[in-house]
Amino acid sequence: MEEQKVLTGKAQWLVFKRLMHYLVPHKKMVFLALGLLALTVLGDVLGPLLIKTFIDDYLTPGTFPTGPVAGLALGYLFIQVSNVIISYFQLLKFQEAALKIIQQLRIDVFTKVQNLGMRYFDKTPAGSMVSRVTNDTEAIKEMFVSVLIGFIQSAFLIVGVYTAMFFLNVRLALMTLVLLPLLFGIMFLYRKYSSVFYQDLRERLGQLNAKLSESIQGMGMIQAFGQEQRLQDEFNDINDKHWAAGRRNIKLDGLLLRPAIDIVYAIALIMLLSYFGVMSFSSTVEVGVIYAFVTYVDRFFEPIGQVMQRLSIFQQAIVAASRVFALLDEEDLAPRQENALGTITSGKIEFRNVTFSYDGKNDVLKNISFTAEPGQTVALVGHTGSGKSSIINLLMRFYEFKNGDILIDGKSVKSYSAKELRSKMGLVLQDPFLFYGTIDSNIRLHNHSMTDSDVRAAAEFVQADRFIEDLPDTYGQAVTERGSTFSSGQRQLVAFARTMATDPKILVLDEATANIDTETEVAIQTSLEKMRRGRTTIAIAHRLSTIQDAELILVLHHGEIVERGTHQQLLSNRGLYHKMYLLQNGIVE
Amino acid sequence: MRVFLELGWFFKERKKHYLIGVLMLLIVAFLGVLPPRIIGFVVDEISRGSLTPAFLMKWLGLLAAAACAMYVLRYAWRQMIFGSSVLLARNLRKQLFDHLTRMSPAFYQKRRVGDLMAHATNDLQAVQQTAGPGVLTLVDSFATGGFVIAAMAFTINWKLTLIVLLPMPLMAYLTNYYGKLLHERFHRAQESFSGLNDKTQESISGMKVIKTFGQEQEDIEDFQRLSGKVVEENIRVARVDSLFDPTISAIIGVCYFLTIGFGSYFVTRGEMTIGDLVAFTAYLGLLVWPMLAFGWLFNIVERGRASYDRIRSLLAEPVDIDDRENALDKRPEGNIVVSVEKFQFPGDERSALRDVHFMLKRGETLGIAGKTGSGKSAILRLLLREFDRYEGEITFGNVPIQDYKKQRLREAIGYVPQDHFLFSTTVAGNIAFARPNAKMEEVVQAAKLAHIHDDILNFADGYNTVVGERGVSLSGGQKQRISIARALMMRPELLILDDSLSAVDAKTEEAILESLKKTRTGETTIITSHRLSAIQHAHQILVMHEGSVAEIGTHEALLERKGRYYEMYQLQQLEALVEQGGEA
Repeated sequence: MEEQKVLTGKAQWLVFKRLMHYLVPHKKMVFLALGLLALTVLGDVLGPLLIKTFIDDYLTPGTFPTGPVAGLALGYLFIQVSNVIISYFQLLKFQEAALKIIQQLRIDVFTKVQNLGMRYFDKTPAGSMVSRVTNDTEAIKEMFVSVLIGFIQSAFLIVGVYTAMFFLNVRLALMTLVLLPLLFGIMFLYRKYSSVFYQDLRERLGQLNAKLSESIQGMGMIQAFGQEQRLQDEFNDINDKHWAAGRRNIKLDGLLLRPAIDIVYAIALIMLLSYFGVMSFSSTVEVGVIYAFVTYVDRFFEPIGQVMQRLSIFQQAIVAASRVFALLDEEDLAPRQENALGTITSGKIEFRNVTFSYDGKNDVLKNISFTAEPGQTVALVGHTGSGKSSIINLLMRFYEFKNGDILIDGKSVKSYSAKELRSKMGLVLQDPFLFYGTIDSNIRLHNHSMTDSDVRAAAEFVQADRFIEDLPDTYGQAVTERGSTFSSGQRQLVAFARTMATDPKILVLDEATANIDTETEVAIQTSLEKMRRGRTTIAIAHRLSTIQDAELILVLHHGEIVERGTHQQLLSNRGLYHKMYLLQNGIVE
Repeated sequence: MRVFLELGWFFKERKKHYLIGVLMLLIVAFLGVLPPRIIGFVVDEISRGSLTPAFLMKWLGLLAAAACAMYVLRYAWRQMIFGSSVLLARNLRKQLFDHLTRMSPAFYQKRRVGDLMAHATNDLQAVQQTAGPGVLTLVDSFATGGFVIAAMAFTINWKLTLIVLLPMPLMAYLTNYYGKLLHERFHRAQESFSGLNDKTQESISGMKVIKTFGQEQEDIEDFQRLSGKVVEENIRVARVDSLFDPTISAIIGVCYFLTIGFGSYFVTRGEMTIGDLVAFTAYLGLLVWPMLAFGWLFNIVERGRASYDRIRSLLAEPVDIDDRENALDKRPEGNIVVSVEKFQFPGDERSALRDVHFMLKRGETLGIAGKTGSGKSAILRLLLREFDRYEGEITFGNVPIQDYKKQRLREAIGYVPQDHFLFSTTVAGNIAFARPNAKMEEVVQAAKLAHIHDDILNFADGYNTVVGERGVSLSGGQKQRISIARALMMRPELLILDDSLSAVDAKTEEAILESLKKTRTGETTIITSHRLSAIQHAHQILVMHEGSVAEIGTHEALLERKGRYYEMYQLQQLEALVEQGGEA
């Protein structure tokens, strides 16, 4: 459960105002819906007036001239029928508007997420980002659909009903105005206490669930240390507090919600009846007017209780919206490119005195310099945390760096357009990520200009075609979430094909170490060799055997290049590389 | 409706509350019939011009009294019925939790945390809904519906009542029909929403790939398409959802029309008065809720039954590891003899242990080496009595461990697991987990032994720093050392370190082992480790391989053998060298 932030009234108002901005592009639809709403309220108000006329003009005197009575009846039916139709479309339009608004908000958040830097992804759990895009926006939708619309309806109805009442009897209408502050008072009180009590209940529920989930996960420990009884007591304590909070809410609801609204309704009735009663002592009172007033008061109270009951939804939506906006305002963006027109032609890569730190404190790369000539392979080796991946992260522009420079074809990597960089550089990740879809969609990704034969050629090039052709649906074979039905070797081959399909000038490889079955292992190795041919390659090698033919091997330790040379040179140095080589081959000297 | 029977035990337990609550509901429903009737009487007197102040006062007084009584009763039945329903939720939640603390690891292996949580949250919520709003709806819809119809038929005009009620079943039918349509469409809307959720999840997890191929824009377009689908499906829902209110008002409108039409006819025939007519229209409004309530009731009850079934079956799961009759109420101590012929994890075909026999003398240290899955942890878990089903016997102080009380056996064992689980409380609270009332000095003493004291002092709030999701994030090594301190707090007869030094550096490991050796002179220790440096000083070392003991002996003897242990040792020496950058 997400932690609930407590927002001040002003902050809530600001969030609300910002939410309302999303209405602007849909103002046509919103105005249409409001117009329809006004019509339905008009119908609601006119109906009783017609019946009032019938009662006073025809029923009381007991005369029923066919023409006028039929006119009234038809008029009444017309209003009813059109009201039903209009209110249907009005409800629909409001919901449509709300859905469209939320869609826009969602797209905005998702677009923002796409533009964030990897740094943000490192510090934020994926689950909470997903929550921002989907669940929080859903909470806001709930507010639009069930609170805001109800609120507007009530407001229109109040205006409509009061207009009609003033039309019928100004004095009585003025008297009933007293009801408004009474109702608002109750609403205010309820909101005031419920925001506290309800918040309290939610927090306790959060604690309860947190305790439960932690206890389930840590049950092994609890039992090993014989702390079952203590944990039961602690849980009971929270459980009891949650229970108490629940009862407090029931009390509050009982005091201020429906029962309170109903008593105001009773007061309203008593006012009406005593007014007309007292009037009747001195003059005649038209029964139809009484009927109309009774009906109006009835209508009037209907939506108010509903709106009050849903105030908590409003509260939650505002909190959700504040979280969504916080993400929208996030400034940890992906590195910018200068959008120059330069193109990468030969693929020469040069690192010049690059020093880099993720947190601004500890340097993970210290003064890294090396050159990869066009077509050459440069291999990076070293222990976990030595800085291999950081070199790739900087080259791929996942993170911004400040000290030193990385040059491609003699120009800073920062000066190329994002499009140029992405189309000329291909990265194969250690853990090949497959998307939900098909083999075909995983190779072409969203690139629709690619033909089927391009896809096939790419697959054949990396020898992925053999296993793909053996699949029941070949290239149309469904890929489930994360490609879990394929072996890691097969996933890697698909990822290779995906990269080759774009025919990059520069290849960046984070070599897979995961348990790949020997059969695909051979295919992967030969494919890798083919892929590297004619391309500048920067490769992280976990298995030294795979990079023996590299033109340059850089041995990294704690962010520094401690050894450099070819395989043979490094072996004869008998340094760190030599030891790693022995270790991998299980040679005990 | 069967769920009401199944929850009968609770209704019996809270008989008084439910009886009083239902009685109050009935009274409220009855009083609710009064206002329209009073309106009718007053209107009649006014229209005849015969209203007297006394008459007006009498009926308005009654109206006021009824309103006040209703307010009080409405407040009170909520306490009685809703109050009981939250009590039910509380009690069931407590039962569930207590039950969960008695379940063995085998149970937790086959149940996912999310599922168990769902029982304690959604299912309990549904049962609470049944015992609260469910009961309310059942009673109130019948009572209000009954009283109102009775009032219409008996105090006004039964013929008009019959005529006007005719369209009402149509409302019940239509809303029910919409409900079914809505259910299907809502399901599809939910599906498209979870599709969007999956898409988002996938894009965020695969962000590097998207960025690599420069496909941000395309991915956003894809998201746009999916979110458009969500809108589409939800509009389908809205199309049905928006039918409810207009349908209800259409049918009520027809009823009004019938009332006014036929009512006027009856009025002119003198069968009823104008006041009756006004009262009748007011009654009509009161009938809407009971008509809608039925559909709602079925919903609540259906969900409640399914949820209650799940909760009951969870509570019915047998406790598989329990104390034997006449179990020894004594903290075990002495030599440990393990003699296991065969052990399989529940639900696994392969045997995790096969022919494992060894004796560990009191006060000695046993080291266990071997790859992941070689059976190291399995031995420890049997010692902890996490599983009872195996061929063979384990004795502690010459008594089979099953003959001790579970609580006493575990008291004697300080266990430091591989996956160091810390609770989201303070550092001190975590260390003193087994002895919450221990003195601060003892906590500090344990922390010092585990060589975590200095780290703790560097935290913002020292020993009062909260760990876990909402607190400071600890490194793996820090977590391991806090786990060790936690186990040491028990002053255990047997200390078990299950590969729990893997994330601390070699120097700290050595220091911890040294201080353990110094302070734990009379007690027994078992250490399993990938890294042989952690166990090489043990009195006895077991080398496990595929569930069996491959080699056994001291460090020196095993090196001499030049077998598995020797090989592992050499490679690790080299690895250590590489980690240090190649220079010894």
